[in-house]
Amino acid sequence: MPPKGKKQKVLMIEEDHFLRKIYRNKLTLAGFEFIEAINGMEGLNKVIFEKPNLVLLDLILPRKNGFDVLVGMKKNEKTKNIPVIILSNLGQESDIKRGLSLGAKEYLVKSEISLSGVVEKVKKWAKNK
Amino acid sequence: MAPKSKKIEISEERTVEIVSVVAHQLKTPISVIKGYLEALMSGDCGKVTPAQKEYLSDALENIKRIFDFIDTLLEVSRIEDKKLSIKLGPVDLGKVTTKVLKNFSHWIEANNCEVVFKKPEKLPKVLTDPVRIYQVVQNFIANAVVYKEGRGRVEIKLKQKGNNVLFICKDNGFGVPKKDFRKIFSKFHRSAKAMNLDPSGSGLGLFINKAVIELNKGKIWFEKNKGKGMTFYFSLPIKKS
Repeated sequence: MPPKGKKQKVLMIEEDHFLRKIYRNKLTLAGFEFIEAINGMEGLNKVIFEKPNLVLLDLILPRKNGFDVLVGMKKNEKTKNIPVIILSNLGQESDIKRGLSLGAKEYLVKSEISLSGVVEKVKKWAKNK
Repeated sequence: MAPKSKKIEISEERTVEIVSVVAHQLKTPISVIKGYLEALMSGDCGKVTPAQKEYLSDALENIKRIFDFIDTLLEVSRIEDKKLSIKLGPVDLGKVTTKVLKNFSHWIEANNCEVVFKKPEKLPKVLTDPVRIYQVVQNFIANAVVYKEGRGRVEIKLKQKGNNVLFICKDNGFGVPKKDFRKIFSKFHRSAKAMNLDPSGSGLGLFINKAVIELNKGKIWFEKNKGKGMTFYFSLPIKKS
């Protein structure tokens, strides 16, 4: 069921347009407003101007990688409390540690989690403003 | 005249890099396929019949197989790059072996094999990476179960030897030809008979096993049995209290 009241906004920063399409459908069906960015630079700008309730962040991104986006968000008073879920194909222990230590709420590996699993995590962490 | 073929030499370092890039490039489109199949399966695009669900579920299972193989390739590339990470902790090898056997009991039975293992009552814990050692034990058992003719019988023993715990896996399979002994732990090595029996094997299991055991300061070796089959061993240092 969609969350009641004003729709919560989820920003997905992901280069692959097929993945954005599938998450756009899934999260819209789940009742979220879906916005997207195709590279790290655009992603960071949208975080600042759109103030989403949650960011779904890939790590391998053009123009600014996901780790740098996360660092940028945490440095900014206005965006530092926006919850971030990393959704990446990098599954190395060192990447997971780095992502979590930079402040991501969850680190999800694309090959290991289902679409519905991601939606559940988004529901859990999306923060009401 | 046909053009002469030219052999291109690629350095080990470059190979590691290529494997890593290719693996990551493959993961994205496969993640997309996985996502689309999951969306169809959950009925996002309309009602799904039980038969369609079954096909989608089979397709997803095979996507998982591709991901597992890519992860194995990445693991090999990390080994060669000396970047394989391990997380050491106290591990009860008896529990690990029991868990592997439990998780694979149906598969073992389906492969017409019997695995005999009596967990020793008292066995000190070893210092190793619990996730990786599970994989090592699983690889040894899987090889012992698969590479045989007729009914298989595998015996697994664990015992303490000095400051180490010894894992022994003895099978009655068709064994490894003597000429292949020195290549047994090499990556992608597969004997002709093994290729014939299980064409989908990667030839990477024993290579990874050796790397993991040696990274854990352990030893790994094998013997040809007097009768049929092979016995594989590894030993790991006991965790000091």
